[in-house]
Amino acid sequence: MTIAEMNFFQRMLYILERYGSSLAKGAATTMAIAIICTLLGCVIGFAVGLIQTTEPHKKDGIVKRGILRFVKVVLTAYVEVFRGTPMMLQAAFIYYGMSQLFNINLGMWSAAIIIVSINTGAYMAETVRGGILSVDPGQREGARAIGMSHFQTMLLVILPQALRNIMPQIGNNLIINIKDTCVLSIIGTVELFFTFRSISGALYTYFEAATVTMIIYFVLTFVCSRILRFVETKMDGPSNFDLATTDTLAFTSGLTRYDANKGGTF
Amino acid sequence: MEEILKIEHLVKTFGSNEVLRDIDFTVSKGDVTSIIGASGSGKSTLLRCINMLEEATGGKILYHGKNILAGEVNEDQYRTKVGMVFQSFNLFSNYSVLDNCIIGQTHVLKRSREEAEKNAMEYLSKVGMAQYIKAKPRQLSGGQKQRVAIARALAMNPEVLLFDEPTSALDPEMVGEVLDVMKALAETGMTMLVVTHEMAFARDVSNRVIYMADGMIEEEGTPEKIFTSPDSPKTKDFLSRFSAKNV
Ligand SMILES: Nc1ncnc2c1ncn2[C@@H]1O[C@H](COP(=O)(O)OP(=O)(O)O)[C@@H](O)[C@H]1O
Ligand SMILES: [Mg+2]
Repeated sequence: MTIAEMNFFQRMLYILERYGSSLAKGAATTMAIAIICTLLGCVIGFAVGLIQTTEPHKKDGIVKRGILRFVKVVLTAYVEVFRGTPMMLQAAFIYYGMSQLFNINLGMWSAAIIIVSINTGAYMAETVRGGILSVDPGQREGARAIGMSHFQTMLLVILPQALRNIMPQIGNNLIINIKDTCVLSIIGTVELFFTFRSISGALYTYFEAATVTMIIYFVLTFVCSRILRFVETKMDGPSNFDLATTDTLAFTSGLTRYDANKGGTF
Repeated sequence: MEEILKIEHLVKTFGSNEVLRDIDFTVSKGDVTSIIGASGSGKSTLLRCINMLEEATGGKILYHGKNILAGEVNEDQYRTKVGMVFQSFNLFSNYSVLDNCIIGQTHVLKRSREEAEKNAMEYLSKVGMAQYIKAKPRQLSGGQKQRVAIARALAMNPEVLLFDEPTSALDPEMVGEVLDVMKALAETGMTMLVVTHEMAFARDVSNRVIYMADGMIEEEGTPEKIFTSPDSPKTKDFLSRFSAKNV
């Protein structure tokens, strides 16, 4: 039976049989790039967001203030430019620019990872900034009041809460990255969309190839969003807590116990 | 008694708004001082300046004779010695009750986890919250949160504890449990500086009352003096309006 004689489902099966391993490889590349770049993008985003929300200390001299100001301006420019232009063009710009201007030939992987990470970082920077600002200022004061330094306050109190607040957006970025890696096909990265184009080009079965590829994309994004939802609930901890039993409290037995009618006992 | 804090000519302005004007007073070891006064009179700002959450505009805050405003004491070390309990609790929402009371000890005071845990458990049992060590702050009532916040501050073993209206954010039925803890704490000889609208606490628990009006100390004295025969007509007026409104 030739392709022309097959029906829709037979064609889809034929594509899976013949190109299943290419599709799997393409999907794996897509996922690898999406996951690595979302993580790197988070690192960039946290670094940029932290600097953006740093206020100069009252005692800082003019030089230190000037440097901070300058760095903030540069970072703002980075965020605006990479959020304000299409990633497909950024890919072409960086990939071909590197080879033409500096004679550096970025490999497929490094080019892909650099571009998507930088792009994700620009989005995450704004998200992280918002996440930090959304943490109740009282949290910072509570930490400062027991003697935590600015650094300890950020690391132990503010950032963990900011991270929890922005988990939905991080998940969103991962989903977007899974889909948007398709623009990398412009620089020849063999990811899922590139594989789709090869298959449809070879077999002239655009509809069936698109259907198969869409289903794969959907499964990837759907599974990821479920996993992330699960991680979020894990981060929240159990909704109930156990009262500590007398056993766990045994080592405090020398002390007077709390008497509900009497208040504290010191 | 040994002087811990000495405030001299303290001034704080926000823009052109002079919130504290020439504040002078001393906190000695074992003092339980209540600060009363109308809303907006600068009570919170005073405590926040003492804790360096706000930067004073002028004057001196001497801690054992060293001026903290001139940087003679390390700011973070100083804060471990002068604890603060807030109206809005400010417990760390990402930690359990136990970890709230441990994290400062391990990271700021560099105590071992074991020692910190023992110390935290001691104060948590004293405020009656030992059973709740596994709970997250959002799972507690207001009164319970405030008791944990007091334990967290005490676990740092401070020399002075500042309270900024610790019961004002509580439902009426929870005010008592927090005041009882504070009363018990005062009886141990803890040095406390308490901004409060609980006149019964100011009268019965503290040994000194400061009445603030318009950013200044209008009158200062023993509770008997302030509540029965105040010198200043402003004090008298405030207290009469207060009792008419609240009792
Ligand atoms: N961060 C701030 N910026 C500007 N004004 C402030 C700030 N904090 C407090 N104030 C002003 O200082 C005055 C005293 O406030 P506060 O110390 O909170 O009074 P109290 O605690 O006695 O009610 C008020 O008029 C208030 O508006
Ligand atoms: Mg206040």
